[in-house]
Amino acid sequence: MTAERNIYRTIGSGGPRVDAAEKVTGRAIYSTDIDRPGMLHAKILRSNVAHAKLVKIDASKARAAPGVHAVLTRDELDQVNSPVYGYFIKDQPIVAMDRVRYEGDTLAAVAAETEAQAEAALALINVELEELPSVPDLDAALDGSLPELFEEAPMGIVPKYGAGASGALRPIHNACYLFSYTTGSAAAFDGCDHVFEDTFEFSRMHHLHLEPFVTVAETSGEQIEIWTSGQNPFPLRKELSRVFGMPENRITVHTPYIGGGFGAKNNCKTEPVAILLSKMAGRPVRLSLTVEENFLTNTQHAARLIVKTGVMNDGRFVARESTIYLDSGAYSDASPLVAEKAGYRIPGPYRWDYIQTDCYCMMTNTSPAGPFRGFGGTQTTWASESQIDMIARRLDMDPIDIRKKNLLKLGDPFVPGESGMDSDLAYGLDLVAKEIGYGDKDRPANRGVGLSIGFKDGGGVNKPALARVKVATGGDALLQCGTAEIGQGAKTAMSRVVAEILKLDPARVTFAPINTDHTPFDQGTNASSAITVMGQAVERAAHKVRDEILEFAATQLGIAAEKLDLADGMIVNGEEKHPLNLMVMGYYGGTGFEFSADGYFKSPNDHEAPLESPCVFWEIGWGAVEVEVDPDTGRLTVHKLVVSGDAGAAIHPLVCRGQDEGAAVMGLGQALFETMQYDGTVLTNGTALGYRVPLASDIPASFVSITQEQGHGPGPFGSKGMGEGGMLPVASAIANAVEDAVSVRITSLPITPQKILKALREKA
Amino acid sequence: MSSPNIVSAGEEIEITVTLNGETKTLAVPAHQVLADLLREQLGLKGGNVSCASGVCGSCTILADGEPVAACAQFAYQMDGKTLTTVEGLGENGQLSAVQKAFSEHSAFQCGYCTPGMILLATALLEQNPAPTRDEIRTWMSANICRCTGYEMIIEAVELAAGESA
Repeated sequence: MTAERNIYRTIGSGGPRVDAAEKVTGRAIYSTDIDRPGMLHAKILRSNVAHAKLVKIDASKARAAPGVHAVLTRDELDQVNSPVYGYFIKDQPIVAMDRVRYEGDTLAAVAAETEAQAEAALALINVELEELPSVPDLDAALDGSLPELFEEAPMGIVPKYGAGASGALRPIHNACYLFSYTTGSAAAFDGCDHVFEDTFEFSRMHHLHLEPFVTVAETSGEQIEIWTSGQNPFPLRKELSRVFGMPENRITVHTPYIGGGFGAKNNCKTEPVAILLSKMAGRPVRLSLTVEENFLTNTQHAARLIVKTGVMNDGRFVARESTIYLDSGAYSDASPLVAEKAGYRIPGPYRWDYIQTDCYCMMTNTSPAGPFRGFGGTQTTWASESQIDMIARRLDMDPIDIRKKNLLKLGDPFVPGESGMDSDLAYGLDLVAKEIGYGDKDRPANRGVGLSIGFKDGGGVNKPALARVKVATGGDALLQCGTAEIGQGAKTAMSRVVAEILKLDPARVTFAPINTDHTPFDQGTNASSAITVMGQAVERAAHKVRDEILEFAATQLGIAAEKLDLADGMIVNGEEKHPLNLMVMGYYGGTGFEFSADGYFKSPNDHEAPLESPCVFWEIGWGAVEVEVDPDTGRLTVHKLVVSGDAGAAIHPLVCRGQDEGAAVMGLGQALFETMQYDGTVLTNGTALGYRVPLASDIPASFVSITQEQGHGPGPFGSKGMGEGGMLPVASAIANAVEDAVSVRITSLPITPQKILKALREKA
Repeated sequence: MSSPNIVSAGEEIEITVTLNGETKTLAVPAHQVLADLLREQLGLKGGNVSCASGVCGSCTILADGEPVAACAQFAYQMDGKTLTTVEGLGENGQLSAVQKAFSEHSAFQCGYCTPGMILLATALLEQNPAPTRDEIRTWMSANICRCTGYEMIIEAVELAAGESA
């Protein structure tokens, strides 16, 4: 099942990524590299208490400290239109107003000539806090006797949902949001031969993007200009416009290369503080967080997932009712969106008669949780694919058979009103099962294999994208599009789409720097959406500009445009080739010309689709592992990890492979050891040294990734998005393999030797 | 805690280093961190600082051929040493064998760790021109890459070793 590739010049070929030369020589510019004349440096004063009333904050001594140009406390918030920001719910203050809500919450900020002076001045700020009982985790959040993090309801909205879906603000005590989805009738449970209810705990990771959250802000008069490590420049501009009460056309967001994000670099992070300090100081201000501060800025969602599944004796799935609690931390950030996705994805890619889900965003006095690669899909795949294995074993069925019996088929809608599956799920499952040697009878003792199918709707919801392709006199192309290069290879993929359509060497396509003044609108680099959403806009722009060029040439040559082709900057008419530049100069004169066309794409709005527009593509991550458990110590060794995604068509095969492998290793870390550890509300490993991430030495002895090209994607040339799928199946595949190996089931992450040993002892 | 970007006080120490092939005598404040000397004072911003605590290796440079974390060394400690940053790799505008392998094998994604990874691999191949896969894996475990999952980095080092063999 391979897409026809030999028909293409560029698509599917090898060769360096377009950002290779800059990145291997160190010439690539990140926001951390930006230096503006007269630039000041900012530091943030953070709360050392998790939950407290802010009684008094006095920064007068700090204001007089050497080198200090501006100090921001709640007293300066009258300079903004709105002192709070957020996605659906505007609850996070630029600096604390009446309360602090987690250890690390922003109390004040200083801009000074040097970071050292700014840091020294922070120590001079006098803060008086009146401690409140804290809400450290989900259990505490669900305990009605503990205080609400927000006494008053923050301003918030529930977006429009389609068939079966709904949302609610502050549905229960200490919850900021509830997403619910229902299809079918609850009576379906009555006819089930078996109903199983299981609870799964999902741990919380930090993105550990190597480039910190960083902003350089330069304000002058009624103009804001920022260079920032953010993956959604246009939504950021809109939120800053609301916060600062300035029209969007007076805010310029530059997006240099981003040094990793994995979801974190969304919406306001360092931007409002840097901008406000710059306004106060009248100088450019750089705010670059430390790795320790990154931990205090955004994290993954820990979660509890209670999944009740009704099945028939023969293994047919009938009904699934799920209650999910996400630990949203102290501010809502993207939690409502993550709830939407977790609540929507928990059924997995299977046929059901009845689905009912409630997903709550619970507030706790911990770091705010937000988008993280997989975005709800990691949590739900962990629970769903674990439980499916458990059910198979309870029914004495083979876990691969129960999956294949219930999997949606190519073209089947996920739920009523949705788009159809655009991958053959069983094909992918067989592929990874074969690679892992599934069904091998002579496996040594204490070894086992496990499978999993990670599942998410990809491409974001209701995302518009615009792109512009300009072709200059000589036929060289400039692509303007707002997809940020965050490592995923967007510049390479988009440039190749243009190169293929214009029949140009990819080296003749330049991806213009992203700057919201010049770049056409894009809703953001998220949800693995680049190639299927922006890719379609780029594709349309490239076709349009090609048509314009051919029409121009047709007029010049007196030949119908349909008879002409464009290749390598030449107009091709059968055997004849006419250089475009001569033709352009013949008509426009020696000053030349530029052809330019815009492309637009958005999945159409549709109220029949639960999320108001049908899913753009389905992102699937098939995983298989072979593990060994030492029964004496609980030590778990992953001997082999197989991961596979469906690129639809691989525009750059090595880039696709890198997405699956990078995501899989993040999943491996989550499965085995990587987790933010809290002692109550205190994060105890929030440092580079304390927080363990996978290293090269953690890669299993055999690590195989298989890039499928099933050819059904909506993106250019049949492509699909790739960024997240590989992360999804790893943890559940490992838990399933552990049960296969030693007949114990671990339902909480990470799967540590301690947990395995405890389970083995309980079983014995 | 990160180091200050501009240092205002403290004793100055004169050091002589050979930096990317050029001998330089520099007066450095006693508490200046090497990464700040390179990035802020000398404008060599190719290497990136991430953890600022000697853990992640993003800022790795070579000092007398040995990989060091520039964020966790004082500038004065480099006195008399030969330093190589990513800017000093390759000759006559050509990429080094390791840079070429990383480029051709797409052994990077966001690129933030890449200069450090390339210098780390350069040091390995200098000391051990034909490393085994296990030796590469162990050596390259000094640095963190959050994007690639390492496999393609390991393969790029194998390719570079094959190239220079």
